[in-house]
Amino acid sequence: MNWKRMSATIALIFGAMAFTPLFVGGADHLMHILIMCLIWAVVASCWDLIMGFAGIFSFGQVAFFVIGAYASAIFSIRFGIDPVFAMPMAGMVSAALGVLVGLPCLRLKGAYVALVTFAVHMILEPFLKSGMGRAMGTGGSRGILTIPPMELFGITFSADNKIAVFYAALVLAVVCSVIIMLVIRSFWGTAFLAIKDSEDFASSLGVSAFKYKLAVFALTSFLTGLAGGFYGHYVGMLSTRMLGIDLFVMLMIMLVIGGIGQFPGAILGAIMTVAINESLAPLGSYRPLILGAMVVVLVLLLPDGIIGLLRKFAPGKTEGGQTVAVESGIQ
Amino acid sequence: MLEYFDVFISGLTNGSVYALMAVGLTLVYGVSRAFNFAYGSFFSLGGYIAWVFMMFLGLRGGYIMVFILSIPLLMGFGYFTEKLIVAPLRKRSDWEVKVMMITLGLALFMDNGYQVIFGPRMKSLPPMMEGAMAVGDTFIANQDIMIFVLSITGILAFRWVLNNTRIGMAVRAVAQNPAGAQIVGIPKDRIFAATFGISTVMVGAGGILLAQKYFVSPMGGWDILVKSWVITAFGGMGSIRGGLYAAFILGMLEAFVGYWFGLNWVLFALFGVLLTTLAIRPQGLMGKWG
Amino acid sequence: MKKTRIFFLALAVLLTLAGNGFSAEPIKVGVPLAMTGPYTDTGDNYWKGIKMALDEINADGGLLGKQLEPVRFDTQEFAPERVMQGADYLCGKEKVDSVHAGWAGWGQDVRAYGKHTAPFFADDGSQSAVDVFTQNREKYANIFQLTDTDINQATSMFNVLMALPYEYPNKTVVIINADDAWGMGVGDTLEDNFKKKGWKVAMHEVVPYGTREWGPILTQIRKAKPAIIHLEIVSAQEVITFFRQFMKAPTDSILSYGYSIVPREVVQTMGTEADGLIGEVPTAMPTPTAPTPEAQAWVDRFTKQWGHQPQAGSWAAYSGVKAWAAAVVAVGDEKDHAAVCNHIATKGYKGETGWWKWDDDHVMRGGGDVPFGHYQVQGGELVTIFTDPPATPYKDFKFIKPRWIK
Repeated sequence: MNWKRMSATIALIFGAMAFTPLFVGGADHLMHILIMCLIWAVVASCWDLIMGFAGIFSFGQVAFFVIGAYASAIFSIRFGIDPVFAMPMAGMVSAALGVLVGLPCLRLKGAYVALVTFAVHMILEPFLKSGMGRAMGTGGSRGILTIPPMELFGITFSADNKIAVFYAALVLAVVCSVIIMLVIRSFWGTAFLAIKDSEDFASSLGVSAFKYKLAVFALTSFLTGLAGGFYGHYVGMLSTRMLGIDLFVMLMIMLVIGGIGQFPGAILGAIMTVAINESLAPLGSYRPLILGAMVVVLVLLLPDGIIGLLRKFAPGKTEGGQTVAVESGIQ
Repeated sequence: MLEYFDVFISGLTNGSVYALMAVGLTLVYGVSRAFNFAYGSFFSLGGYIAWVFMMFLGLRGGYIMVFILSIPLLMGFGYFTEKLIVAPLRKRSDWEVKVMMITLGLALFMDNGYQVIFGPRMKSLPPMMEGAMAVGDTFIANQDIMIFVLSITGILAFRWVLNNTRIGMAVRAVAQNPAGAQIVGIPKDRIFAATFGISTVMVGAGGILLAQKYFVSPMGGWDILVKSWVITAFGGMGSIRGGLYAAFILGMLEAFVGYWFGLNWVLFALFGVLLTTLAIRPQGLMGKWG
Repeated sequence: MKKTRIFFLALAVLLTLAGNGFSAEPIKVGVPLAMTGPYTDTGDNYWKGIKMALDEINADGGLLGKQLEPVRFDTQEFAPERVMQGADYLCGKEKVDSVHAGWAGWGQDVRAYGKHTAPFFADDGSQSAVDVFTQNREKYANIFQLTDTDINQATSMFNVLMALPYEYPNKTVVIINADDAWGMGVGDTLEDNFKKKGWKVAMHEVVPYGTREWGPILTQIRKAKPAIIHLEIVSAQEVITFFRQFMKAPTDSILSYGYSIVPREVVQTMGTEADGLIGEVPTAMPTPTAPTPEAQAWVDRFTKQWGHQPQAGSWAAYSGVKAWAAAVVAVGDEKDHAAVCNHIATKGYKGETGWWKWDDDHVMRGGGDVPFGHYQVQGGELVTIFTDPPATPYKDFKFIKPRWIK
């Protein structure tokens, strides 16, 4: 998708969202859903970047989100750091861990990478509950129940003030989307695609897979961790319950609906998935059943997600199926 | 000294079942590069099928009856699952990721299907054999012996099929060189589906074997998926012998780490060993490709 | 033109009919429970108690003449934002006049529902939830806990273990608990209590849920030969597999299962095989004989409605609904949340076994007419042998030495 389309789509999505408080600002319940849409949009976009563009089967997204959330909470509670600073610091922690996890993944392929990154997810819960975790301030199995909200320009961005939080989340989502878009459109993006399609050939051209892969781990972990920190300061409480399989599957559904490697499909995917999940909620136990069936059907019918579907109705300047390299080009 | 014997038996019994299931996973991956995220749900499927036959329908014939009836069912289920939802994806871009996603959706569907049909509570099956055999000062449960024997039999049977039957040779051919196999006239797509079916039988059989000891529950499969995954990665995806060694090594590791350090450390230990191995040998112990 | 007129006429008729269908607006009652996910089981227990109470009140003419309408919410795995969403939905959007939950978030729920005014009943059994409450008693004045904390329940388990008519061969104990907040709370409290009484804690193992292979642990147990083994994992698979593997070569130990005895399958699957196990239930309805005729009538009604004996939590949740209803009747207005909460906090509630009095922390402490129940499996059934505090044998039921102890 070319630059103009991508930014136009992003602008459209977020622009439309920006007006929603006018209609539902009074409904706390709905505002909460919208805020979560924005937060998940960031996480889903990062996952799209690393899986869809860089071709790395990372399954650690949720883990980095939780790490960011806990880190930011611990920084602000234990060390009294202002949440405005704690969040990016938490992002750095996630990024550092992302690089650490990325290092062994560099030589691995496909399912191996998925396993190693998923290992982070699996180990995180026992770690948070362990003696070491509790010593660090994770609250063990109880979780953390009192996280100070972000305060800026005299406004407290807490769960009591959802409209403010919504706009803060919107800013966060826009900034992250722009960063991701810039990465995709830049030389980095081209490099990723080259590596993904044929690593050996790319290496022969001097494209260092090593550097770029680590960079993508660092970036996506940073942004995801940042989003995690934001979540923590908004909801005001954290528990290891976030590491259940529910959230992981939800994120995957966002990518299925949005389309992998079809940025900004992930954003649309996040919004639609949350909406669908909420609307199915009254069905109780049938909800996850329907979701699972939906995933199966959607992967079969919509190979490129919603964006792929939309593209069929409004084809861009280039013919379908071209790599970005041709579009962005060196011309 | 005696306590180590106990722990050792633990590791051996579990290792044998893990081996059965890991071999199934590595088979599918080695032949068709498809990663079945619903493996855990297939494991539970075996248990639930056994429950339906034995407890719900009350059929006679004990576990022999259960195995005779469930093997073709499991085979068919795996075969058609592959044909319906995995095969169509092969032509698409990023198909490996898509297969993971679609099988994850399937897992979600199946696990919650179990919950809706059978309820959230666990289901129990009668043990295969009662009693225990005395070995010096300690005991080995007959149930454990049965499990071990049946798992090893399953693996040997599988190896026999692979080496001595036409379908086995076709499978090996496709694993080594899919294009070449097709040229020689082997129906590649049907082999893919058949392997999927065989792996379903193996993991489902593992499910039946363990159900009588550990019960069946809707969410019980995730553990199995992760363990099978770790074992196959450790042993090398695509290598059956590697999978076998890995299963027993990790079964032992689990038992001894649990004994020395506590059960909470088992996960750390398993992943630690895996990561270290992968750092040195990215293809696992005996993986065939880099 | 004619068509539109007919349409509007039809619409008007329809609306009038709909308007006349119900004499008055129903009172909405929020019910956030785990309907999917790993806690569905307990969610189901609470729902049965709540539904029974709602049905009874409605059949009796409703509350203040209005029918009660439950509004359910699936809390799934109690992820923080899910708990918060429940509160926003039930209290913010649906404007329910009371909320009845079981396990509700162990502290997260206090924060989430404390922001609103509707009376909120939970069965957290968690000290951390109480800690959150004490941070701001006025704001959280609408929060009520239906059971005592994990710490007090564990202390009760200890007291009864010490009060058993049985002579312990030694003073060694092994504690095994799950790694969740409940397990840790009970495990740590028990360890403290035993140590203070001069016992030796040979082993205190923390295990993850899903543990079904007990070989290594049992090997250590057989070495230590403890007089008591306490297991605190609230999930049938783990505790049944433990028991069966233990019985391969049992030691002369009392098996104390605490709250782990509660999942229905434990007794259902093992039947008389489970004879000898001891367990505890807070805010309990003692079985097989209830303490008062009213309580027995309640048990009979429950069994008739649901087809099985009441499980842990059902009676507590039932009582929560009834307590709220009684307070509403006394105050006269279901919308005056503050007055209703005040009535519950100061006057309490007279239930089937006697008086329910919440203390200053809005916790139903074990004791008085609502003690902890301590059970032993006898003849394949849960039989109440003690209530505590104070540790008193229950009616004529006796503790029977387990068959595996020589």
